[in-house]
Amino acid sequence: MAASEEALMWVEKYRPKTLDEVVGLKDIVESLKAFMRNPKTMPHLMFAGVPGTGKTTLALAIAHTLYGANWKSFTLELNASDERGIDTVRDRIKDFSRYSRTGFGGDIPFALIILDECDQMTGPAQTALRRIMEVGSRTSRFILICNQSSKIIEPIQSRCAIFRFSRVEKQAMKDHLICIAKNEGYTLVPEAAERIVDFSEGDLRHAINSLQTASAYKEGVIDEKTVALVIGEASPMLVQKMIRKALYGDFMEARKTMYDIMGSFGFSGTEIIRQIQREIFKMSDLTPTQKAELSGVIGEYDFRLTEGANSDIQLSALLAQFAKFGKGIEENYAEAK
Amino acid sequence: MQKQSNLLWVEKYRPKKIEDVTGNDEAKALFLEWLKNKKHTRKAVLLYGPPGVGKTTLVMATAREFNFSVIEMNASDTRSEKAINAVAKPATSYTSLDNFSGAAKTGGNVLFLDEVDGIAGNEDRGGVNAILKIVEESLVPVIMAANDPDIEKLRPLKKVCLLVRFHQVRIPLIIALLQKICVLEHVKAEFEALERIAQNSRGDVRSAINDLQSLSEENHSLTLQDTMMLSSRNKDISMDDTLRGFFSAQSIADTSRLLSYSSVDYDDFLLSVADNLPKRYLDATELAKAFDHVSKADVFRGRIGTENWHLLKYFFNALAEASAVNPASYKPFTFITPPIRIMTLFWTKGKRTMLDAICDKIGAQCHVSHQIAREQYVPYIRLILQKKPKSPLAAWFKFTPEEVDFLVKMGRF
Repeated sequence: MAASEEALMWVEKYRPKTLDEVVGLKDIVESLKAFMRNPKTMPHLMFAGVPGTGKTTLALAIAHTLYGANWKSFTLELNASDERGIDTVRDRIKDFSRYSRTGFGGDIPFALIILDECDQMTGPAQTALRRIMEVGSRTSRFILICNQSSKIIEPIQSRCAIFRFSRVEKQAMKDHLICIAKNEGYTLVPEAAERIVDFSEGDLRHAINSLQTASAYKEGVIDEKTVALVIGEASPMLVQKMIRKALYGDFMEARKTMYDIMGSFGFSGTEIIRQIQREIFKMSDLTPTQKAELSGVIGEYDFRLTEGANSDIQLSALLAQFAKFGKGIEENYAEAK
Repeated sequence: MQKQSNLLWVEKYRPKKIEDVTGNDEAKALFLEWLKNKKHTRKAVLLYGPPGVGKTTLVMATAREFNFSVIEMNASDTRSEKAINAVAKPATSYTSLDNFSGAAKTGGNVLFLDEVDGIAGNEDRGGVNAILKIVEESLVPVIMAANDPDIEKLRPLKKVCLLVRFHQVRIPLIIALLQKICVLEHVKAEFEALERIAQNSRGDVRSAINDLQSLSEENHSLTLQDTMMLSSRNKDISMDDTLRGFFSAQSIADTSRLLSYSSVDYDDFLLSVADNLPKRYLDATELAKAFDHVSKADVFRGRIGTENWHLLKYFFNALAEASAVNPASYKPFTFITPPIRIMTLFWTKGKRTMLDAICDKIGAQCHVSHQIAREQYVPYIRLILQKKPKSPLAAWFKFTPEEVDFLVKMGRF
């Protein structure tokens, strides 16, 4: 069954199934392999790192290695950012962690619980989790995945072996993309690969999704032009466009772009403001000081957003502050001249 | 005695004599004829017409001239059958005690039921029937007043009453009246300003006098500019008028007054202000400042929610500040109305639910959270499906045809 239902999203299709298939991440993979040789010694694990660097992939690969094709029966996969309340911890996780798996045919005496995006879990839920990890350690192992380990309470951290994931190297990513494209019957032009790599900032998932989308535009060759088209339609680029328009004084156009983004992607005000914050730091035409100043302004409006009644008013107001800021830069520039 | 200066001008200048009641001469004549004719063909009279045109005033002035004692019941009194009987029965059954006192010769009693269209269904149970009975048995004249005699529950009354219709008072008459008051109150007023107040009142003398007092009492002067703050009260309030007043305001006080007059919907108004702000402030610094105030107003709107209405004043204040960032830079412009409400237009609850369902399916196949599905999958899958409508991807995700359609059309509206 599983074979006939081949994954159609490339991210899934090319997700390594075993630890051996994983490219890069050498140190981490070696340590994990050591655990796999004698699974009973495996502690709870914590994978921390920026998005798209292989944390989920490694967790799933461990599940595959431990249980083989039947991995789904022995693995509970939960996304903590979707189900982050204490109820989930108490009901689903607790129940699952208590079953003993011995006698089910496997040699592995425990079940695996993969908790993705743990840093989104509420404090009480984390506290509840701490106890469950202790009590259930005979019958289950946890793999906790998060972006920032600092958001996980200390007692949980101390119960885990922590692995830190860094951004995927540019060259490795480029090679990987070209390889995938070739496999799918496309030629990925090196400049185009470069462009995708730059845009996705070490997030392999994002890169592969962009690649697949570009492949839908044209058969055969994926060139830089096609990639630019795809990237231009993606929200980070639109957000940058909006910020630039505001900074260069075209408030009306900036606001129009804001409505476009909200309409096209259904983003909430908070989501857009988070993207603004992220994109500001990517923009090369701003100095670090300017970025810091803008960030302060963004923070203020982010706060007001949570209290206010209309998110688009708050965002408009933020764009107006950007326009004022941009005017200031221009004047300073003129004076310096 | 009350200090004159504390009086509302509407009370202070309420006509004492019948001839001083402005306008509606026909109605006055008809009413007086009925009153003087002791053998009433009909026992009761119903004065009806829009508010503020002199119905109550006429009754009071008449009573004064004819020396009637008026026994009055208005909407502030309960008017159930029992209550009406308690007050009105004695009044209509006997002639007034004053007749025996000898101190003043009175013309007897009249019963005056003001605002009869305000007799409410449940609280005033049996009210209309009680009135009918009293009219039937009454020994004294019964006068009633109403704004709208056409409502169902008053129909029985209309059969036993003489109907006297009052019209809106004509604009020139109101202007003349306002001029008279200005002289007496030592107000220097531009004619155009009085004209605008009169026009704005739509024949409602009371509201015209109230407007005049509120606009001129402080400075004893009145210019056309002052009247820009007027919005037609309760009638045809247009968002445009309120916005115009808001954006042309000369000071925070101007706007505060405007906002307290206007009865436009706060939320609509806030959104309209935000939408039009960039057309009002063309300078980036001014715009940023104004938007900062509007943003604060929005925060107060959020805190008010549905119950903390005591915070409304802060909401108004913040808005008022936004209107007066730089009064000098005001130039007339055309408003953007209705406001750009793409979010609410497009992102209805149903659509959000659908997007959530789509993200659920993506999450199940690709091991990602909603948030990542929305930010890193939906935009791309949308493009792929737009480019390749027959892509097997849709089937792989188990999207329904509606969901595919939704994705393809996203961002195209």
